[in-house]
Amino acid sequence: MQLTRRDFLKLSGAGAGASLAGGLLLSPGEVAAATPGPGDLGILYDSSKCVGCRACQMACKRWNKRPAEPDDAQGIYDAPQGLSADTWTLIELKKRSDDEWHFFNYQCMHCADAACVTVCPSRALFKDERGFTAYDREKCIGCGYCTRFCPYGVPHLERQTTTELLSGRTKTAKCTFCQDRIAAGIGGPFCAETCPVGALVWGQRADLLTTAKARVTDLQGQGLSAARLYGETEAGGLHRLSILFGEPGEYGLPLKPASPTTARLWQGVFQWLGQAAFGAAILGSIGAFFVARRKIHMEEVE
Amino acid sequence: MSVRVKGQGTTFQIRWIPKYTTVERFLHWLHTFTFLPLALTGLILYAPWLGSLAQGPAGMTMRLIHRVAAVLFGGVPILYLILQPRRVALHMREFLSFGRYDLLWLKAAAAYYLLGRHTDMPPQPRFNTGERLNALVMVVGTLTFGLTGLPMWFGRMSMPMELYQALVVIHDVAFIITMTMFLVHFYLAVIHPLMWQSLVSMRFGSVSESYAREHHGAWYYGEKRARQMWEAEHKKQEEQDEDKED
Repeated sequence: MQLTRRDFLKLSGAGAGASLAGGLLLSPGEVAAATPGPGDLGILYDSSKCVGCRACQMACKRWNKRPAEPDDAQGIYDAPQGLSADTWTLIELKKRSDDEWHFFNYQCMHCADAACVTVCPSRALFKDERGFTAYDREKCIGCGYCTRFCPYGVPHLERQTTTELLSGRTKTAKCTFCQDRIAAGIGGPFCAETCPVGALVWGQRADLLTTAKARVTDLQGQGLSAARLYGETEAGGLHRLSILFGEPGEYGLPLKPASPTTARLWQGVFQWLGQAAFGAAILGSIGAFFVARRKIHMEEVE
Repeated sequence: MSVRVKGQGTTFQIRWIPKYTTVERFLHWLHTFTFLPLALTGLILYAPWLGSLAQGPAGMTMRLIHRVAAVLFGGVPILYLILQPRRVALHMREFLSFGRYDLLWLKAAAAYYLLGRHTDMPPQPRFNTGERLNALVMVVGTLTFGLTGLPMWFGRMSMPMELYQALVVIHDVAFIITMTMFLVHFYLAVIHPLMWQSLVSMRFGSVSESYAREHHGAWYYGEKRARQMWEAEHKKQEEQDEDKED
Protein backbone atom coordinates (compact mmCIF):
# COMPACT_ATOMS: atom_id res chain seq x y z
CA MET A 1 0.00 0.00 0.00
CA GLN A 2 1.46 3.34 -1.00
CA LEU A 3 0.55 6.87 -0.16
CA THR A 4 -1.95 7.48 -2.95
CA ARG A 5 -2.08 10.68 -4.91
CA ARG A 6 -5.50 11.42 -3.47
CA ASP A 7 -4.16 11.16 0.08
CA PHE A 8 -1.25 13.37 -0.81
CA LEU A 9 -3.50 16.02 -2.33
CA LYS A 10 -5.78 15.82 0.67
CA LEU A 11 -2.87 16.42 3.01
CA SER A 12 -1.43 19.30 0.99
CA GLY A 13 -4.88 20.83 0.82
CA ALA A 14 -5.25 20.55 4.57
CA GLY A 15 -1.84 22.18 5.07
CA ALA A 16 -2.61 25.07 2.74
CA GLY A 17 -6.06 25.54 4.26
CA ALA A 18 -4.52 25.51 7.71
CA SER A 19 -2.07 28.24 6.83
CA LEU A 20 -4.81 30.34 5.31
CA ALA A 21 -7.19 29.84 8.24
CA GLY A 22 -4.36 30.51 10.67
CA GLY A 23 -3.56 33.72 8.87
CA LEU A 24 -7.16 34.93 8.86
CA LEU A 25 -7.85 33.94 12.44
CA LEU A 26 -4.72 35.38 13.96
CA SER A 27 -3.81 38.24 11.67
CA PRO A 28 -1.22 40.29 13.54
CA GLY A 29 -1.21 44.05 13.92
CA GLU A 30 -0.78 46.49 11.10
CA VAL A 31 2.93 46.86 10.38
CA ALA A 32 2.86 48.75 7.07
CA ALA A 33 5.14 51.80 7.04
CA ALA A 34 3.13 54.92 7.84
CA THR A 35 3.55 58.55 6.81
CA PRO A 36 1.98 61.67 8.36
CA GLY A 37 -1.54 62.53 7.26
CA PRO A 38 -2.67 65.98 6.03
CA GLY A 39 -4.46 67.00 9.23
CA ASP A 40 -1.73 65.85 11.62
CA LEU A 41 -0.61 67.93 14.56
CA GLY A 42 3.02 68.53 15.41
CA ILE A 43 5.58 70.34 17.54
CA LEU A 44 8.45 72.39 16.13
CA TYR A 45 11.57 72.96 18.20
CA ASP A 46 13.78 75.77 16.92
CA SER A 47 17.15 75.44 18.60
CA SER A 48 18.17 78.91 17.36
CA LYS A 49 15.47 80.51 19.52
CA CYS A 50 15.89 78.39 22.65
CA VAL A 51 17.40 80.19 25.64
CA GLY A 52 17.57 77.05 27.81
CA CYS A 53 15.22 78.33 30.52
CA ARG A 54 13.76 74.85 31.02
CA ALA A 55 10.23 76.21 31.37
CA CYS A 56 9.13 73.38 29.04
CA GLN A 57 10.53 70.80 31.49
CA MET A 58 8.73 72.38 34.42
CA ALA A 59 5.49 72.75 32.46
CA CYS A 60 5.63 69.10 31.44
CA LYS A 61 6.19 67.93 35.02
CA ARG A 62 3.42 70.14 36.32
CA TRP A 63 0.75 69.19 33.80
CA ASN A 64 1.58 65.48 33.81
CA LYS A 65 2.11 65.44 37.60
CA ARG A 66 5.61 63.96 37.37
CA PRO A 67 7.79 64.36 40.45
CA ALA A 68 11.28 65.86 40.41
CA GLU A 69 13.99 63.22 40.33
CA PRO A 70 15.44 63.24 43.83
CA ASP A 71 18.19 60.75 43.11
CA ASP A 72 19.92 62.90 40.52
CA ALA A 73 23.63 62.22 40.76
CA GLN A 74 24.54 65.90 40.79
CA GLY A 75 21.76 66.93 43.12
CA ILE A 76 20.40 69.35 40.55
CA TYR A 77 16.66 68.92 40.34
CA ASP A 78 16.11 70.86 37.13
CA ALA A 79 18.80 69.06 35.12
CA PRO A 80 18.05 65.33 35.18
CA GLN A 81 20.58 63.03 33.56
CA GLY A 82 18.25 61.97 30.77
CA LEU A 83 14.69 61.15 29.84
CA SER A 84 13.00 58.81 32.31
CA ALA A 85 9.59 57.63 33.42
CA ASP A 86 9.26 60.94 35.30
CA THR A 87 11.07 63.25 32.86
CA TRP A 88 9.34 63.35 29.50
CA THR A 89 11.02 66.42 28.12
CA LEU A 90 14.53 67.64 28.76
CA ILE A 91 16.79 70.53 27.70
CA GLU A 92 20.45 69.71 27.19
CA LEU A 93 23.34 72.01 26.38
CA LYS A 94 25.33 71.05 23.29
CA LYS A 95 28.77 72.60 22.76
CA ARG A 96 29.95 72.50 19.15
CA SER A 97 33.09 74.51 19.97
CA ASP A 98 34.18 76.95 22.66
CA ASP A 99 32.32 79.72 20.84
CA GLU A 100 29.27 77.88 19.58
CA TRP A 101 26.73 76.52 22.05
CA HIS A 102 23.20 75.30 21.42
CA PHE A 103 20.41 73.87 23.45
CA PHE A 104 18.39 70.88 22.43
CA ASN A 105 15.01 69.74 23.66
CA TYR A 106 14.62 65.95 23.94
CA GLN A 107 11.14 64.48 24.00
CA CYS A 108 9.11 61.89 22.13
CA MET A 109 9.52 62.40 18.39
CA HIS A 110 6.04 60.98 17.66
CA CYS A 111 7.26 59.02 14.62
CA ALA A 112 4.68 58.32 11.94
CA ASP A 113 6.20 54.84 11.67
CA ALA A 114 6.60 54.26 15.39
CA ALA A 115 8.59 51.19 16.46
CA CYS A 116 7.07 51.36 19.96
CA VAL A 117 3.57 51.02 18.48
CA THR A 118 4.67 48.14 16.23
CA VAL A 119 6.04 46.09 19.12
CA CYS A 120 3.50 47.01 21.83
CA PRO A 121 1.61 43.74 22.52
CA SER A 122 -1.16 45.36 24.55
CA ARG A 123 -1.91 48.24 22.16
CA ALA A 124 -1.29 50.60 25.04
CA LEU A 125 0.82 52.67 22.68
CA PHE A 126 -1.10 53.65 19.56
CA LYS A 127 -1.20 56.25 16.83
CA ASP A 128 -3.76 58.96 17.51
CA GLU A 129 -5.75 59.98 14.45
CA ARG A 130 -4.05 63.38 14.73
CA GLY A 131 -0.69 61.73 14.16
CA PHE A 132 1.00 61.70 17.54
CA THR A 133 1.89 58.56 19.48
CA ALA A 134 -0.67 58.29 22.26
CA TYR A 135 -0.59 56.12 25.36
CA ASP A 136 -3.26 54.32 27.39
CA ARG A 137 -1.66 53.59 30.76
CA GLU A 138 -4.52 51.27 31.79
CA LYS A 139 -3.68 48.83 29.00
CA CYS A 140 0.08 48.76 29.57
CA ILE A 141 1.48 45.53 31.01
CA GLY A 142 5.01 46.80 31.52
CA CYS A 143 6.76 44.41 29.14
CA GLY A 144 9.26 47.11 28.22
CA TYR A 145 9.52 46.22 24.52
CA CYS A 146 8.90 49.89 23.63
CA THR A 147 11.86 50.96 25.77
CA ARG A 148 14.20 48.73 23.79
CA PHE A 149 12.85 49.24 20.28
CA CYS A 150 12.45 53.05 20.21
CA PRO A 151 15.30 54.46 18.08
CA TYR A 152 15.34 57.56 20.33
CA GLY A 153 15.27 55.73 23.67
CA VAL A 154 12.21 57.69 24.77
CA PRO A 155 9.87 55.33 26.67
CA HIS A 156 11.05 54.26 30.12
CA LEU A 157 9.63 51.81 32.63
CA GLU A 158 8.56 53.24 35.96
CA ARG A 159 10.84 52.71 38.92
CA GLN A 160 10.99 49.05 39.97
CA THR A 161 11.55 47.45 43.33
CA THR A 162 13.04 43.95 43.45
CA THR A 163 9.57 42.40 43.83
CA GLU A 164 8.36 44.34 40.84
CA LEU A 165 11.40 43.27 38.85
CA LEU A 166 10.57 39.64 39.66
CA SER A 167 6.86 39.90 38.95
CA GLY A 168 7.23 42.36 36.06
CA ARG A 169 4.55 44.64 37.53
CA THR A 170 5.35 48.07 36.18
CA LYS A 171 4.20 50.50 33.51
CA THR A 172 5.92 52.37 30.76
CA ALA A 173 5.83 56.15 30.54
CA LYS A 174 6.57 58.74 27.88
CA CYS A 175 5.46 62.06 26.43
CA THR A 176 1.86 61.78 25.24
CA PHE A 177 1.70 65.05 23.25
CA CYS A 178 -0.52 66.12 26.19
CA GLN A 179 -3.22 63.92 24.65
CA ASP A 180 -5.55 64.75 27.55
CA ARG A 181 -5.30 68.47 26.80
CA ILE A 182 -5.93 67.82 23.10
CA ALA A 183 -8.86 65.53 23.81
CA ALA A 184 -10.42 67.99 26.26
CA GLY A 185 -9.89 70.85 23.82
CA ILE A 186 -7.97 72.87 26.43
CA GLY A 187 -5.03 73.42 24.11
CA GLY A 188 -1.90 71.70 22.89
CA PRO A 189 1.25 70.27 24.43
CA PHE A 190 1.90 72.26 27.61
CA CYS A 191 5.66 72.54 26.90
CA ALA A 192 4.97 74.36 23.63
CA GLU A 193 2.28 76.53 25.18
CA THR A 194 4.62 77.53 27.99
CA CYS A 195 7.74 78.32 25.97
CA PRO A 196 8.30 82.06 26.47
CA VAL A 197 10.47 82.58 23.37
CA GLY A 198 8.62 80.57 20.74
CA ALA A 199 11.35 77.93 20.47
CA LEU A 200 8.73 75.24 20.99
CA VAL A 201 5.51 75.75 19.06
CA TRP A 202 2.69 73.39 18.16
CA GLY A 203 0.11 73.32 15.39
CA GLN A 204 -0.65 71.62 12.10
CA ARG A 205 2.41 69.63 11.08
CA ALA A 206 2.16 70.83 7.46
CA ASP A 207 2.22 74.49 8.61
CA LEU A 208 5.13 73.85 10.96
CA LEU A 209 7.04 72.21 8.13
CA THR A 210 6.62 75.35 5.96
CA THR A 211 7.66 77.61 8.86
CA ALA A 212 10.68 75.42 9.63
CA LYS A 213 11.90 75.32 6.04
CA ALA A 214 11.64 79.12 5.73
CA ARG A 215 13.46 79.50 9.06
CA VAL A 216 16.31 77.20 7.94
CA THR A 217 16.71 79.19 4.69
CA ASP A 218 16.68 82.37 6.76
CA LEU A 219 19.33 81.08 9.20
CA GLN A 220 21.53 79.87 6.36
CA GLY A 221 21.17 83.33 4.78
CA GLN A 222 22.52 84.79 8.03
CA GLY A 223 25.67 82.70 7.59
CA LEU A 224 24.65 79.81 9.87
CA SER A 225 25.36 77.18 7.25
CA ALA A 226 25.02 74.27 9.69
CA ALA A 227 21.33 74.98 10.22
CA ARG A 228 19.11 72.15 9.07
CA LEU A 229 15.68 70.63 9.52
CA TYR A 230 15.33 67.24 11.20
CA GLY A 231 12.19 65.13 11.15
CA GLU A 232 10.60 65.66 7.74
CA THR A 233 11.12 62.07 6.56
CA GLU A 234 12.88 60.28 9.44
CA ALA A 235 10.97 57.22 10.73
CA GLY A 236 8.22 57.86 8.22
CA GLY A 237 8.15 61.54 9.24
CA LEU A 238 8.34 62.87 12.79
CA HIS A 239 5.59 64.88 14.42
CA ARG A 240 8.27 66.62 16.49
CA LEU A 241 10.31 68.65 14.00
CA SER A 242 13.66 70.16 15.00
CA ILE A 243 15.98 72.82 13.68
CA LEU A 244 19.53 71.68 14.36
CA PHE A 245 22.98 73.12 13.95
CA GLY A 246 25.12 70.33 12.60
CA GLU A 247 24.76 66.64 12.00
CA PRO A 248 21.96 64.78 13.84
CA GLY A 249 24.71 62.61 15.29
CA GLU A 250 26.06 65.58 17.24
CA TYR A 251 22.76 65.61 19.12
CA GLY A 252 22.73 61.86 19.57
CA LEU A 253 19.93 61.58 17.02
CA PRO A 254 20.00 58.68 14.57
CA LEU A 255 20.44 59.65 10.92
CA LYS A 256 18.02 57.01 9.66
CA PRO A 257 15.77 56.07 12.57
CA ALA A 258 13.66 53.65 10.58
CA SER A 259 11.42 51.45 12.66
CA PRO A 260 14.00 48.74 13.53
CA THR A 261 14.30 45.85 11.13
CA THR A 262 13.98 43.43 14.04
CA ALA A 263 10.56 44.86 14.94
CA ARG A 264 9.39 44.27 11.38
CA LEU A 265 11.01 40.87 11.15
CA TRP A 266 9.38 39.90 14.42
CA GLN A 267 5.85 41.22 13.90
CA GLY A 268 5.68 40.99 10.12
CA VAL A 269 7.51 37.78 9.27
CA PHE A 270 8.04 35.43 12.20
CA GLN A 271 4.61 35.82 13.75
CA TRP A 272 3.06 34.97 10.39
CA LEU A 273 5.38 32.01 9.96
CA GLY A 274 4.48 30.84 13.44
CA GLN A 275 0.77 31.03 12.75
CA ALA A 276 1.20 29.16 9.49
CA ALA A 277 3.24 26.47 11.27
CA PHE A 278 0.73 26.05 14.12
CA GLY A 279 -2.20 26.00 11.71
CA ALA A 280 -0.52 23.49 9.44
CA ALA A 281 0.43 21.25 12.39
CA ILE A 282 -3.10 21.26 13.82
CA LEU A 283 -5.05 20.81 10.58
CA GLY A 284 -2.37 18.46 9.24
CA SER A 285 -2.82 16.28 12.33
CA ILE A 286 -6.57 16.27 11.91
CA GLY A 287 -6.21 15.32 8.25
CA ALA A 288 -3.63 12.65 9.06
CA PHE A 289 -5.91 11.26 11.76
CA PHE A 290 -8.78 10.71 9.34
CA VAL A 291 -6.49 9.10 6.75
CA ALA A 292 -5.00 6.85 9.44
CA ARG A 293 -8.40 5.91 10.79
CA ARG A 294 -9.60 4.83 7.36
CA LYS A 295 -6.43 3.00 6.35
CA ILE A 296 -5.38 1.38 9.58
CA HIS A 297 -7.52 -1.44 10.85
CA MET A 298 -6.80 -1.79 14.53
CA GLU A 299 -8.27 -5.32 14.70
CA GLU A 300 -5.48 -6.46 12.38
CA VAL A 301 -2.81 -4.93 14.59
CA GLU A 302 -1.16 -7.30 17.02
CA MET B 1 4.45 -7.86 35.36
CA SER B 2 1.92 -9.86 33.43
CA VAL B 3 -1.79 -9.68 32.86
CA ARG B 4 -3.87 -12.74 32.29
CA VAL B 5 -7.04 -12.19 30.29
CA LYS B 6 -9.56 -15.01 30.33
CA GLY B 7 -11.94 -15.32 27.43
CA GLN B 8 -14.09 -18.11 26.08
CA GLY B 9 -11.74 -21.04 26.08
CA THR B 10 -8.71 -18.90 25.48
CA THR B 11 -6.12 -17.56 27.86
CA PHE B 12 -3.45 -15.23 26.70
CA GLN B 13 -0.82 -13.34 28.47
CA ILE B 14 0.43 -9.78 28.02
CA ARG B 15 3.95 -9.28 29.23
CA TRP B 16 4.60 -5.73 30.35
CA ILE B 17 8.11 -4.38 30.02
CA PRO B 18 9.22 -1.37 32.07
CA LYS B 19 10.24 1.44 29.73
CA TYR B 20 10.37 4.69 31.71
CA THR B 21 11.57 5.25 35.27
CA THR B 22 9.42 7.07 37.81
CA VAL B 23 11.72 10.10 37.70
CA GLU B 24 11.57 10.18 33.90
CA ARG B 25 7.80 10.11 33.93
CA PHE B 26 7.45 12.69 36.69
CA LEU B 27 9.82 15.13 35.00
CA HIS B 28 8.23 14.51 31.60
CA TRP B 29 4.84 15.57 32.94
CA LEU B 30 6.29 18.44 34.93
CA HIS B 31 7.90 19.70 31.72
CA THR B 32 4.59 19.22 29.86
CA PHE B 33 2.43 21.00 32.40
CA THR B 34 4.82 23.92 32.72
CA PHE B 35 5.24 24.13 28.94
CA LEU B 36 1.49 24.49 28.45
CA PRO B 37 0.96 27.68 30.51
CA LEU B 38 4.14 29.11 29.00
CA ALA B 39 2.89 28.38 25.49
CA LEU B 40 -0.63 29.65 26.17
CA THR B 41 0.49 32.90 27.78
CA GLY B 42 3.00 33.37 24.95
CA LEU B 43 0.41 32.55 22.29
CA ILE B 44 -1.64 35.56 23.40
CA LEU B 45 0.89 37.77 21.67
CA TYR B 46 0.13 35.95 18.40
CA ALA B 47 -3.60 36.44 18.47
CA PRO B 48 -5.00 39.98 18.39
CA TRP B 49 -8.47 38.61 19.12
CA LEU B 50 -7.10 37.53 22.49
CA GLY B 51 -5.81 41.10 22.81
CA SER B 52 -7.80 41.91 25.94
CA LEU B 53 -5.87 39.17 27.76
CA ALA B 54 -2.66 41.01 26.92
CA GLN B 55 -3.87 44.31 28.38
CA GLY B 56 -3.89 45.90 31.81
CA PRO B 57 -4.25 43.70 34.92
CA ALA B 58 -5.06 40.58 32.86
CA GLY B 59 -1.91 41.07 30.84
CA MET B 60 0.13 41.52 34.00
CA THR B 61 -1.27 38.26 35.38
CA MET B 62 -0.33 36.50 32.15
CA ARG B 63 3.21 37.81 32.47
CA LEU B 64 3.36 36.61 36.07
CA ILE B 65 2.12 33.14 35.09
CA HIS B 66 4.72 33.08 32.32
CA ARG B 67 7.47 33.85 34.80
CA VAL B 68 6.42 31.36 37.47
CA ALA B 69 5.98 28.62 34.86
CA ALA B 70 9.33 29.56 33.29
CA VAL B 71 11.18 28.99 36.55
CA LEU B 72 9.58 25.55 36.98
CA PHE B 73 10.10 24.68 33.29
CA GLY B 74 13.77 25.58 33.48
CA GLY B 75 13.99 23.80 36.81
CA VAL B 76 13.10 20.41 35.28
CA PRO B 77 16.41 19.74 33.51
CA ILE B 78 18.33 21.21 36.45
CA LEU B 79 16.46 18.92 38.84
CA TYR B 80 17.19 15.95 36.59
CA LEU B 81 20.87 16.89 36.50
CA ILE B 82 20.95 16.99 40.30
CA LEU B 83 18.93 13.81 40.85
CA GLN B 84 20.39 11.56 38.15
CA PRO B 85 23.30 13.16 36.30
CA ARG B 86 24.33 9.84 34.79
CA ARG B 87 20.94 9.23 33.30
CA VAL B 88 20.98 12.74 31.79
CA ALA B 89 24.30 11.90 30.15
CA LEU B 90 22.82 8.58 29.00
CA HIS B 91 19.83 10.37 27.47
CA MET B 92 22.00 12.87 25.68
CA ARG B 93 24.00 10.00 24.20
CA GLU B 94 20.77 8.26 23.17
CA PHE B 95 19.33 11.45 21.66
CA LEU B 96 22.47 12.22 19.68
CA SER B 97 23.07 8.79 18.14
CA PHE B 98 21.81 8.87 14.58
CA GLY B 99 22.63 6.33 11.90
CA ARG B 100 21.62 4.72 8.65
CA TYR B 101 18.42 3.32 10.11
CA ASP B 102 17.23 6.80 10.97
CA LEU B 103 17.19 7.83 7.31
CA LEU B 104 15.28 4.64 6.48
CA TRP B 105 12.90 5.37 9.35
CA LEU B 106 12.22 8.89 8.09
CA LYS B 107 11.54 7.49 4.60
CA ALA B 108 9.15 4.85 5.87
CA ALA B 109 7.47 6.92 8.59
CA ALA B 110 4.79 8.64 6.46
CA ALA B 111 3.51 5.33 5.07
CA TYR B 112 3.51 3.81 8.54
CA TYR B 113 1.86 6.62 10.47
CA LEU B 114 -0.69 7.37 7.76
CA LEU B 115 -1.40 3.94 6.30
CA GLY B 116 -0.14 1.53 8.90
CA ARG B 117 2.46 -0.04 6.59
CA HIS B 118 5.07 -1.39 8.97
CA THR B 119 7.27 -3.62 6.79
CA ASP B 120 9.78 -0.89 5.90
CA MET B 121 10.21 0.41 9.44
CA PRO B 122 13.77 -0.35 10.59
CA PRO B 123 14.31 -1.50 14.20
CA GLN B 124 14.60 1.36 16.68
CA PRO B 125 16.21 1.73 20.09
CA ARG B 126 14.32 2.91 23.18
CA PHE B 127 13.70 6.26 21.47
CA ASN B 128 12.85 6.16 17.77
CA THR B 129 14.14 8.72 15.26
CA GLY B 130 11.15 11.00 15.69
CA GLU B 131 11.29 10.84 19.47
CA ARG B 132 14.99 11.68 19.41
CA LEU B 133 14.40 14.63 17.08
CA ASN B 134 11.61 15.83 19.36
CA ALA B 135 13.85 15.43 22.41
CA LEU B 136 16.69 17.35 20.78
CA VAL B 137 14.38 20.17 19.74
CA MET B 138 13.09 20.35 23.32
CA VAL B 139 16.60 20.30 24.84
CA VAL B 140 17.88 23.00 22.51
CA GLY B 141 14.59 24.89 22.85
CA THR B 142 14.66 24.85 26.65
CA LEU B 143 18.25 26.09 26.65
CA THR B 144 17.37 28.82 24.15
CA PHE B 145 14.35 29.93 26.17
CA GLY B 146 16.51 30.18 29.28
CA LEU B 147 19.43 31.89 27.61
CA THR B 148 17.20 34.50 25.96
CA GLY B 149 14.46 34.75 28.60
CA LEU B 150 16.58 35.34 31.69
CA PRO B 151 18.58 38.24 30.18
CA MET B 152 15.33 39.79 28.90
CA TRP B 153 13.91 39.48 32.39
CA PHE B 154 16.83 40.70 34.48
CA GLY B 155 19.21 42.44 32.10
CA ARG B 156 16.85 44.53 29.98
CA MET B 157 18.62 47.83 30.53
CA SER B 158 22.17 46.53 30.84
CA MET B 159 22.58 45.35 27.27
CA PRO B 160 22.67 47.06 23.87
CA MET B 161 19.29 47.59 22.22
CA GLU B 162 20.26 45.46 19.25
CA LEU B 163 21.07 42.51 21.50
CA TYR B 164 17.77 42.81 23.34
CA GLN B 165 15.89 42.94 20.06
CA ALA B 166 17.76 39.87 18.83
CA LEU B 167 16.86 38.02 22.04
CA VAL B 168 13.17 38.83 21.57
CA VAL B 169 13.23 37.49 18.03
CA ILE B 170 15.23 34.35 18.96
CA HIS B 171 12.82 33.62 21.83
CA ASP B 172 9.97 33.91 19.33
CA VAL B 173 11.58 31.63 16.76
CA ALA B 174 12.36 29.05 19.46
CA PHE B 175 8.69 29.14 20.41
CA ILE B 176 7.51 28.62 16.84
CA ILE B 177 9.77 25.57 16.47
CA THR B 178 9.06 23.98 19.85
CA MET B 179 5.32 24.66 19.67
CA THR B 180 5.06 23.06 16.22
CA MET B 181 7.07 20.11 17.53
CA PHE B 182 4.81 19.90 20.55
CA LEU B 183 1.69 19.74 18.36
CA VAL B 184 3.18 16.93 16.27
CA HIS B 185 4.34 15.12 19.43
CA PHE B 186 0.88 15.50 20.95
CA TYR B 187 -0.77 14.04 17.87
CA LEU B 188 1.57 11.06 17.61
CA ALA B 189 1.70 10.30 21.32
CA VAL B 190 -1.89 10.93 22.37
CA ILE B 191 -4.17 10.82 19.33
CA HIS B 192 -2.60 8.44 16.81
CA PRO B 193 -4.45 5.10 16.97
CA LEU B 194 -1.31 2.94 16.68
CA MET B 195 0.50 4.78 19.45
CA TRP B 196 -1.96 4.36 22.26
CA GLN B 197 0.62 2.55 24.35
CA SER B 198 2.98 5.52 24.33
CA LEU B 199 0.60 7.50 26.53
CA VAL B 200 0.04 4.46 28.74
CA SER B 201 3.77 3.96 29.10
CA MET B 202 4.42 7.57 30.01
CA ARG B 203 1.70 7.26 32.65
CA PHE B 204 2.46 3.80 34.08
CA GLY B 205 5.99 3.23 32.85
CA SER B 206 5.51 -0.03 30.93
CA VAL B 207 4.80 -1.17 27.38
CA SER B 208 3.57 -4.53 26.20
CA GLU B 209 6.02 -6.99 24.78
CA SER B 210 4.43 -6.85 21.32
CA TYR B 211 4.60 -3.06 21.28
CA ALA B 212 8.25 -3.11 22.33
CA ARG B 213 9.05 -5.66 19.63
CA GLU B 214 7.28 -3.74 16.91
CA HIS B 215 8.28 -0.18 17.80
CA HIS B 216 11.60 -0.55 19.56
CA GLY B 217 13.14 -3.69 18.09
CA ALA B 218 16.71 -2.61 18.72
CA TRP B 219 15.83 -2.08 22.37
CA TYR B 220 13.83 -5.31 22.73
CA TYR B 221 16.14 -7.71 20.88
CA GLY B 222 19.38 -5.82 21.27
CA GLU B 223 20.90 -3.83 18.46
CA LYS B 224 22.86 -6.62 16.80
CA ARG B 225 20.12 -9.19 16.74
CA ALA B 226 17.53 -6.66 15.59
CA ARG B 227 19.76 -5.71 12.71
CA GLN B 228 20.34 -9.30 11.70
CA MET B 229 16.63 -10.04 11.82
CA TRP B 230 15.73 -6.97 9.83
CA GLU B 231 18.35 -7.63 7.17
CA ALA B 232 17.29 -11.26 6.85
CA GLU B 233 13.67 -10.23 6.54
CA HIS B 234 14.44 -7.67 3.90
CA LYS B 235 16.59 -10.01 1.88
CA LYS B 236 13.70 -12.42 1.80
CA GLN B 237 11.36 -9.71 0.69
CA GLU B 238 13.68 -8.43 -2.00
CA GLU B 239 13.97 -11.96 -3.38
CA GLN B 240 10.18 -12.27 -3.39
CA ASP B 241 9.89 -8.96 -5.19
CA GLU B 242 12.41 -10.10 -7.77
CA ASP B 243 10.52 -13.35 -8.23
CA LYS B 244 7.36 -11.41 -8.89
CA GLU B 245 9.09 -9.26 -11.48
CA ASP B 246 10.32 -12.39 -13.27
